[in-house]
Amino acid sequence: MNRGPSLDAIRPCLEGAVPAAIATCGADGTPNVTLVSQVHYVDAGHVALSFQFFNKTRENILANPQATVFLLHPQTSARYRLALLYRRTETAGPLFESMKAKLAGIASNAGMSEVFRLRGADVYQVLAIEQVPGAEVPAAQCAPCHIARLRQLSQRLAACGDLAGLLEQCLEGLAGVLEMPQAMILLLDSQGQKLYTVASHGYPLSGVGSEFPLGRGIIGVAAQFRTPIRIAHLASEYAYSRAIHEHLAEAGRGDRLETEIAFPGLAEPHSQLSVPILAAGRLLGVLHVESAEPHRFGYDEEDCLMGLASLLGASILALQQVADNPAEDGGAPLFAAPLQGTPLAVRYYPANSSVFLGEDYLIKGVAGAIFWRLLSLHVEEQRSEFSNRELRVDPALKLPDLDDNLEARLILLQRRLAERSRDIVLQKCGRGRLRLLLKRPVLLQQIAAR
Amino acid sequence: MSEMILSDEQVRFIESGVSISAASRDVRRVPSVSKAVGCRVAADRRQVTVLVDATQAGQLLQDVAACGALAVVFCLPSSHRTLQLKGRDARLVPLAAGDAELAARHREAFAEDLLPLGYALPFARATHDFQAERLQALCFTLSDLFEQTPGPNAGLRLEPSR
Repeated sequence: MNRGPSLDAIRPCLEGAVPAAIATCGADGTPNVTLVSQVHYVDAGHVALSFQFFNKTRENILANPQATVFLLHPQTSARYRLALLYRRTETAGPLFESMKAKLAGIASNAGMSEVFRLRGADVYQVLAIEQVPGAEVPAAQCAPCHIARLRQLSQRLAACGDLAGLLEQCLEGLAGVLEMPQAMILLLDSQGQKLYTVASHGYPLSGVGSEFPLGRGIIGVAAQFRTPIRIAHLASEYAYSRAIHEHLAEAGRGDRLETEIAFPGLAEPHSQLSVPILAAGRLLGVLHVESAEPHRFGYDEEDCLMGLASLLGASILALQQVADNPAEDGGAPLFAAPLQGTPLAVRYYPANSSVFLGEDYLIKGVAGAIFWRLLSLHVEEQRSEFSNRELRVDPALKLPDLDDNLEARLILLQRRLAERSRDIVLQKCGRGRLRLLLKRPVLLQQIAAR
Repeated sequence: MSEMILSDEQVRFIESGVSISAASRDVRRVPSVSKAVGCRVAADRRQVTVLVDATQAGQLLQDVAACGALAVVFCLPSSHRTLQLKGRDARLVPLAAGDAELAARHREAFAEDLLPLGYALPFARATHDFQAERLQALCFTLSDLFEQTPGPNAGLRLEPSR
């Protein structure tokens, strides 16, 4: 039997750009037809429809699970009829969250943010797809071959020997190969409650070191539910600032987010896509891209980014092991020569491990504690070179645990120093080794908590 | 029981450049659905005729012939205003003079409504395109009318008003 085109082949029809008509039939034989804003692709054999109101469609499918949907291709106007069988409703979890975010974008675009609220994701099995004859127009543009581009990008990632290079290649590749110039990588804090920006591309200020709460906003929801979240229109419910403010309003003092460093996102992203970075069964972070254009990211881009995030996750884990197990010793330790000039006052607040250079805030948390330790060793022992391994086992640092990505914290620190200080430079000097370079003397002041 | 009658304003709405989708069902109550390409309402404001392209609506035409049940949804994209009409006596009727012109005018009116939303004209026209020689007319007596504009009143049955 010819079942017509595959569901994969008609995914552009499932972007929510053009409403679909859904027909159902009640127990008494009365047909019902209504328009739906979202027919969501679940997998090659299933779609999900948004359940927002308890209406006739809902009543009908509970009594008679058969539905027929009429879809239009948003570029060509090709028509398809889907024979569907209602299977179940999901009211929480990854599918629900993906649809909820997508619906928020659709509702916001339609000026109906207050009206559309997802109550459930109704999952239907696709029994048959029929292409309906009729006038078509040629598609405006040919879609890029994402698998070919992902292959290019994977080769670039495979050539990276350290985490800093990996993050840089990933973001440059997103911009150059996938034409996604606004992108950022956030990693999960060892406490598992927040994400910190470790690298970004395409923003006036990198925002490296800024933090984002888990479970809120597009990035936090993608992380919490380990699922891609994609929005095709500007949606205020998913604004970055809103997520951060809501978190701060509710969070206890012990759970404060970094707020001194501004989050790097666009003020008005009309397209957003967040995908979880997963490896070895763990959530490592989130890869996030955005655009000022609506409908910039579709199902293909989502798949592509999920593939990229998988490569990134596996590479992060692999490089972490390499970084902590240097093949050889770095040679004779380098001792610092005495410096001339006015000393730079460096203040350290152990309460939250925050560091100030003169009057300027630099960083806090794990990276702040590491920096203070490096400076202390530099002043007390005149040392300039350090190894990742000694930092990891340093009793003065008490690093959270092995889950925390020390290498990522060091990249963060390095980047913040590069952005905020002309007097102190932190460099890599060989695998798993660091060099601290000072251009003027420092005066260390530890400020005890009152 | 008073009979359902459309108001003049409702008639103007469903005869304007709205998107039209029609549904029926077979003997096993499997629903069928197709786009309609035009609509006209008789002077009594109860007899409603929708035009379909038979190459696109084969199953729907078959189902209507077998059961007479028809549901039709009308929606104006620019305002989201949506109405659903139902009838129990739907049947194929001969085309009236000017039906092909009516469908052509409808196609243009729909495209006009869609353009400000950012769609290109060829696409907008294609969505409600038809072959004049394959047009068929389905007529039914209005039995039920529902407000379906997204919002708190969506799904509300509209009662006869006289």
